[in-house]
Amino acid sequence: MSYDTWEGDDESEAGRLVPLYILVNGRTSPRNTNLDLATQVIARPADTSRLEPEYREIVNRCRNWISIAEIGAYLHRPLTITKVMVDVLLDQGYLGIGSPAQQKIADRRLLETVLAGLERL
Amino acid sequence: MAGGFGTGKTTLVGSVSEIPPLTTEEVLTQASVGVDDMTGIEDKANTTVALDFGRITITPDVVLYLFGTPGQDRFWFIWDELAQGAIGAIVLVDTRRLGTSFPAIDYFERRGIPFVAAVNRFFGECLYTEEEIRSALELDPAVPLVFCDARDRASSKQALIELVRHAMSRLPVAS
Repeated sequence: MSYDTWEGDDESEAGRLVPLYILVNGRTSPRNTNLDLATQVIARPADTSRLEPEYREIVNRCRNWISIAEIGAYLHRPLTITKVMVDVLLDQGYLGIGSPAQQKIADRRLLETVLAGLERL
Repeated sequence: MAGGFGTGKTTLVGSVSEIPPLTTEEVLTQASVGVDDMTGIEDKANTTVALDFGRITITPDVVLYLFGTPGQDRFWFIWDELAQGAIGAIVLVDTRRLGTSFPAIDYFERRGIPFVAAVNRFFGECLYTEEEIRSALELDPAVPLVFCDARDRASSKQALIELVRHAMSRLPVAS
Protein backbone atom coordinates (compact mmCIF):
# COMPACT_ATOMS: atom_id res chain seq x y z
CA MET A 1 0.00 0.00 0.00
CA SER A 2 1.32 3.34 -0.94
CA TYR A 3 0.49 6.73 0.30
CA ASP A 4 -0.65 9.33 -2.10
CA THR A 5 1.71 12.18 -2.13
CA TRP A 6 0.65 15.62 -3.15
CA GLU A 7 3.36 17.83 -4.40
CA GLY A 8 1.06 20.44 -5.71
CA ASP A 9 1.16 24.04 -4.86
CA ASP A 10 -1.87 24.57 -2.71
CA GLU A 11 0.16 26.40 -0.11
CA SER A 12 1.76 28.92 -2.30
CA GLU A 13 1.67 31.31 0.61
CA ALA A 14 4.05 29.27 2.73
CA GLY A 15 2.25 27.37 5.42
CA ARG A 16 -1.25 28.22 4.31
CA LEU A 17 -3.59 25.42 5.37
CA VAL A 18 -6.86 27.25 5.01
CA PRO A 19 -7.88 28.73 1.68
CA LEU A 20 -8.39 32.45 1.84
CA TYR A 21 -12.07 32.27 0.95
CA ILE A 22 -12.71 30.30 4.14
CA LEU A 23 -11.37 33.21 6.15
CA VAL A 24 -14.01 35.48 4.76
CA ASN A 25 -16.83 32.93 4.74
CA GLY A 26 -16.91 32.98 0.98
CA ARG A 27 -17.83 36.63 0.87
CA THR A 28 -16.61 38.47 -2.16
CA SER A 29 -17.49 42.02 -1.28
CA PRO A 30 -17.45 44.10 1.87
CA ARG A 31 -20.75 45.14 3.46
CA ASN A 32 -19.45 48.65 3.71
CA THR A 33 -19.40 49.57 0.05
CA ASN A 34 -17.55 52.80 0.76
CA LEU A 35 -14.32 50.93 1.35
CA ASP A 36 -11.82 51.42 -1.41
CA LEU A 37 -8.14 50.86 -1.94
CA ALA A 38 -7.15 54.18 -0.45
CA THR A 39 -9.43 53.98 2.60
CA GLN A 40 -7.35 54.60 5.70
CA VAL A 41 -7.76 52.44 8.79
CA ILE A 42 -6.10 52.28 12.20
CA ALA A 43 -6.06 49.71 15.02
CA ARG A 44 -8.20 50.49 18.02
CA PRO A 45 -7.09 49.35 21.46
CA ALA A 46 -8.54 45.85 21.78
CA ASP A 47 -7.56 42.37 22.84
CA THR A 48 -6.76 40.55 19.62
CA SER A 49 -5.92 37.19 21.19
CA ARG A 50 -9.17 35.63 20.00
CA LEU A 51 -8.70 36.66 16.41
CA GLU A 52 -7.57 34.27 13.71
CA PRO A 53 -3.87 34.83 13.00
CA GLU A 54 -4.62 36.25 9.54
CA TYR A 55 -6.88 38.87 11.09
CA ARG A 56 -4.45 39.62 13.90
CA GLU A 57 -1.77 40.20 11.29
CA ILE A 58 -3.90 42.93 9.76
CA VAL A 59 -4.58 44.61 13.10
CA ASN A 60 -0.84 44.52 13.86
CA ARG A 61 -0.15 46.28 10.59
CA CYS A 62 -2.50 49.10 11.50
CA ARG A 63 -0.63 50.75 14.39
CA ASN A 64 -0.55 53.88 12.24
CA TRP A 65 -2.99 54.99 9.59
CA ILE A 66 -2.61 52.75 6.59
CA SER A 67 -4.51 52.21 3.37
CA ILE A 68 -6.23 48.97 2.45
CA ALA A 69 -3.98 48.74 -0.61
CA GLU A 70 -0.88 48.86 1.58
CA ILE A 71 -2.20 46.16 3.93
CA GLY A 72 -2.79 43.91 0.92
CA ALA A 73 0.69 44.55 -0.43
CA TYR A 74 2.51 44.00 2.85
CA LEU A 75 0.61 40.83 3.69
CA HIS A 76 0.56 39.51 0.12
CA ARG A 77 -3.19 39.16 0.04
CA PRO A 78 -5.40 39.90 -2.92
CA LEU A 79 -7.18 43.20 -2.49
CA THR A 80 -10.64 41.71 -2.67
CA ILE A 81 -9.86 39.50 0.32
CA THR A 82 -8.10 42.28 2.19
CA LYS A 83 -11.07 44.54 1.76
CA VAL A 84 -13.51 41.98 3.12
CA MET A 85 -11.23 41.17 6.07
CA VAL A 86 -10.80 44.85 6.91
CA ASP A 87 -14.56 45.22 6.72
CA VAL A 88 -14.99 42.39 9.24
CA LEU A 89 -12.47 44.01 11.58
CA LEU A 90 -14.17 47.40 11.28
CA ASP A 91 -17.48 45.76 12.01
CA GLN A 92 -16.08 44.10 15.13
CA GLY A 93 -14.46 47.29 16.36
CA TYR A 94 -10.83 46.20 16.01
CA LEU A 95 -10.17 48.87 13.43
CA GLY A 96 -11.25 52.46 13.05
CA ILE A 97 -11.80 54.12 9.71
CA GLY A 98 -10.65 57.49 8.41
CA SER A 99 -12.88 59.90 6.62
CA PRO A 100 -14.53 58.18 3.67
CA ALA A 101 -13.03 58.70 0.25
CA GLN A 102 -14.69 61.39 -1.77
CA GLN A 103 -16.52 60.37 -4.89
CA LYS A 104 -15.03 63.28 -6.72
CA ILE A 105 -12.37 65.71 -5.71
CA ALA A 106 -13.85 69.13 -6.18
CA ASP A 107 -12.08 70.82 -3.33
CA ARG A 108 -9.84 73.57 -4.60
CA ARG A 109 -8.07 73.99 -1.29
CA LEU A 110 -7.20 70.30 -1.12
CA LEU A 111 -5.82 70.40 -4.65
CA GLU A 112 -3.81 73.51 -3.79
CA THR A 113 -2.36 71.68 -0.80
CA VAL A 114 -1.41 68.73 -3.02
CA LEU A 115 0.09 71.02 -5.63
CA ALA A 116 2.19 72.88 -3.06
CA GLY A 117 3.30 69.55 -1.60
CA LEU A 118 4.39 68.25 -4.99
CA GLU A 119 6.28 71.42 -5.75
CA ARG A 120 8.20 71.03 -2.50
CA LEU A 121 9.34 67.52 -3.39
CA MET B 1 -0.90 55.92 -14.02
CA ALA B 2 -2.49 54.19 -16.93
CA GLY B 3 -1.16 52.96 -20.21
CA GLY B 4 -0.37 49.72 -21.92
CA PHE B 5 2.03 47.09 -20.64
CA GLY B 6 5.60 48.31 -20.47
CA THR B 7 4.91 52.01 -20.89
CA GLY B 8 6.66 52.88 -17.62
CA LYS B 9 3.86 53.06 -15.06
CA THR B 10 5.77 51.25 -12.33
CA THR B 11 8.89 53.25 -13.10
CA LEU B 12 7.02 56.52 -12.75
CA VAL B 13 5.42 55.48 -9.47
CA GLY B 14 8.82 54.37 -8.16
CA SER B 15 10.62 57.54 -9.11
CA VAL B 16 8.39 59.84 -7.04
CA SER B 17 7.06 57.57 -4.30
CA GLU B 18 8.50 57.92 -0.80
CA ILE B 19 8.24 54.16 -0.35
CA PRO B 20 9.52 51.55 -2.79
CA PRO B 21 6.61 50.76 -5.10
CA LEU B 22 4.38 48.11 -3.59
CA THR B 23 2.64 45.52 -5.66
CA THR B 24 -0.54 43.79 -4.80
CA GLU B 25 -3.08 42.02 -6.88
CA GLU B 26 -6.75 42.26 -7.45
CA VAL B 27 -8.73 39.15 -8.20
CA LEU B 28 -11.22 39.30 -10.98
CA THR B 29 -14.45 38.87 -9.10
CA GLN B 30 -17.83 37.85 -10.29
CA ALA B 31 -19.06 41.39 -10.27
CA SER B 32 -16.69 42.27 -13.06
CA VAL B 33 -17.44 39.33 -15.28
CA GLY B 34 -20.24 41.15 -17.03
CA VAL B 35 -18.03 43.95 -18.22
CA ASP B 36 -15.08 41.79 -19.03
CA ASP B 37 -14.48 40.61 -22.53
CA MET B 38 -13.47 37.02 -22.01
CA THR B 39 -12.68 36.31 -25.65
CA GLY B 40 -9.49 34.35 -25.86
CA ILE B 41 -8.98 34.30 -22.15
CA GLU B 42 -11.80 31.99 -21.14
CA ASP B 43 -9.45 29.91 -19.05
CA LYS B 44 -9.04 32.46 -16.34
CA ALA B 45 -11.41 31.74 -13.52
CA ASN B 46 -8.96 33.29 -11.11
CA THR B 47 -7.38 36.05 -13.13
CA THR B 48 -5.43 38.52 -11.12
CA VAL B 49 -4.11 41.87 -12.11
CA ALA B 50 -1.06 43.50 -10.62
CA LEU B 51 -1.53 46.87 -9.03
CA ASP B 52 1.54 48.92 -8.24
CA PHE B 53 1.36 51.83 -5.95
CA GLY B 54 3.35 54.35 -4.03
CA ARG B 55 2.64 57.22 -1.71
CA ILE B 56 3.69 60.80 -1.15
CA THR B 57 2.96 62.39 2.20
CA ILE B 58 1.90 65.93 1.42
CA THR B 59 1.07 67.05 4.96
CA PRO B 60 0.45 65.01 8.11
CA ASP B 61 -3.22 64.92 7.07
CA VAL B 62 -2.93 64.51 3.33
CA VAL B 63 -1.41 61.51 1.62
CA LEU B 64 -1.29 61.22 -2.14
CA TYR B 65 -1.46 57.69 -3.46
CA LEU B 66 -0.14 56.80 -6.87
CA PHE B 67 -1.65 53.74 -8.46
CA GLY B 68 -0.46 52.13 -11.63
CA THR B 69 -2.31 49.36 -13.34
CA PRO B 70 -2.66 48.05 -16.88
CA GLY B 71 -4.95 49.94 -19.17
CA GLN B 72 -6.27 46.93 -20.99
CA ASP B 73 -9.98 46.50 -21.49
CA ARG B 74 -10.20 43.55 -19.18
CA PHE B 75 -8.74 45.48 -16.29
CA TRP B 76 -11.13 48.40 -16.27
CA PHE B 77 -12.97 47.03 -13.29
CA ILE B 78 -10.02 48.05 -11.16
CA TRP B 79 -10.02 51.53 -12.66
CA ASP B 80 -13.67 51.93 -11.83
CA GLU B 81 -12.62 51.74 -8.22
CA LEU B 82 -9.39 53.73 -8.53
CA ALA B 83 -11.14 56.53 -10.35
CA GLN B 84 -13.36 57.20 -7.36
CA GLY B 85 -11.89 60.02 -5.40
CA ALA B 86 -8.93 60.26 -7.74
CA ILE B 87 -7.52 63.63 -8.69
CA GLY B 88 -7.01 62.26 -12.15
CA ALA B 89 -4.83 60.07 -14.30
CA ILE B 90 -1.59 60.19 -16.19
CA VAL B 91 -1.81 58.19 -19.38
CA LEU B 92 1.68 57.09 -20.34
CA VAL B 93 2.30 57.06 -24.03
CA ASP B 94 4.92 55.08 -25.91
CA THR B 95 5.21 56.67 -29.33
CA ARG B 96 6.23 53.34 -30.85
CA ARG B 97 2.93 51.87 -29.76
CA LEU B 98 0.43 54.68 -29.67
CA GLY B 99 -2.43 52.23 -29.96
CA THR B 100 -1.84 50.95 -26.44
CA SER B 101 -2.85 54.35 -25.10
CA PHE B 102 -6.19 54.62 -26.86
CA PRO B 103 -8.26 52.52 -24.45
CA ALA B 104 -7.05 54.54 -21.45
CA ILE B 105 -7.65 57.90 -23.13
CA ASP B 106 -11.08 56.78 -24.18
CA TYR B 107 -11.91 55.55 -20.69
CA PHE B 108 -11.02 58.78 -18.90
CA GLU B 109 -12.59 60.97 -21.57
CA ARG B 110 -15.89 59.16 -21.36
CA ARG B 111 -16.04 59.43 -17.60
CA GLY B 112 -14.97 63.03 -17.49
CA ILE B 113 -11.94 62.18 -15.33
CA PRO B 114 -9.12 64.73 -15.69
CA PHE B 115 -6.05 63.25 -17.29
CA VAL B 116 -2.82 64.30 -18.95
CA ALA B 117 -1.01 62.36 -21.62
CA ALA B 118 2.66 61.85 -20.84
CA VAL B 119 5.04 60.76 -23.56
CA ASN B 120 7.67 58.65 -21.87
CA ARG B 121 11.09 59.50 -23.26
CA PHE B 122 12.54 56.42 -21.67
CA PHE B 123 12.49 54.81 -25.06
CA GLY B 124 14.79 57.35 -26.64
CA GLU B 125 14.38 60.69 -28.27
CA CYS B 126 10.89 61.30 -29.43
CA LEU B 127 10.74 61.47 -33.21
CA TYR B 128 7.43 63.26 -33.36
CA THR B 129 6.30 66.75 -32.60
CA GLU B 130 3.68 67.52 -30.03
CA GLU B 131 1.19 68.31 -32.81
CA GLU B 132 1.80 64.99 -34.51
CA ILE B 133 1.28 63.05 -31.31
CA ARG B 134 -1.81 65.06 -30.38
CA SER B 135 -3.36 64.43 -33.71
CA ALA B 136 -2.47 60.73 -33.71
CA LEU B 137 -4.04 60.36 -30.27
CA GLU B 138 -6.98 62.59 -31.20
CA LEU B 139 -6.39 64.45 -27.96
CA ASP B 140 -8.83 67.14 -26.95
CA PRO B 141 -6.96 70.49 -27.14
CA ALA B 142 -7.74 71.04 -23.45
CA VAL B 143 -5.85 67.90 -22.42
CA PRO B 144 -2.21 68.65 -21.55
CA LEU B 145 0.47 66.65 -23.29
CA VAL B 146 3.76 66.43 -21.45
CA PHE B 147 7.07 64.82 -22.26
CA CYS B 148 8.70 63.03 -19.38
CA ASP B 149 11.29 60.50 -18.40
CA ALA B 150 9.57 58.21 -15.95
CA ARG B 151 12.93 57.25 -14.43
CA ASP B 152 13.63 60.82 -13.46
CA ARG B 153 12.10 62.06 -10.25
CA ALA B 154 11.93 65.72 -11.25
CA SER B 155 10.38 64.82 -14.56
CA SER B 156 7.75 62.51 -13.03
CA LYS B 157 7.00 65.13 -10.40
CA GLN B 158 6.40 67.66 -13.17
CA ALA B 159 3.90 65.32 -14.83
CA LEU B 160 2.04 65.03 -11.52
CA ILE B 161 2.05 68.82 -11.12
CA GLU B 162 0.60 69.23 -14.62
CA LEU B 163 -2.13 66.78 -13.72
CA VAL B 164 -3.08 68.59 -10.51
CA ARG B 165 -3.09 71.94 -12.31
CA HIS B 166 -5.24 70.49 -15.04
CA ALA B 167 -7.67 69.06 -12.47
CA MET B 168 -7.86 72.48 -10.81
CA SER B 169 -8.52 74.22 -14.10
CA ARG B 170 -11.61 72.09 -14.53
CA LEU B 171 -13.15 73.01 -11.20
CA PRO B 172 -16.03 75.42 -11.33
CA VAL B 173 -14.81 78.95 -10.72
CA ALA B 174 -15.25 79.89 -7.08
CA SER B 175 -18.09 82.33 -6.66
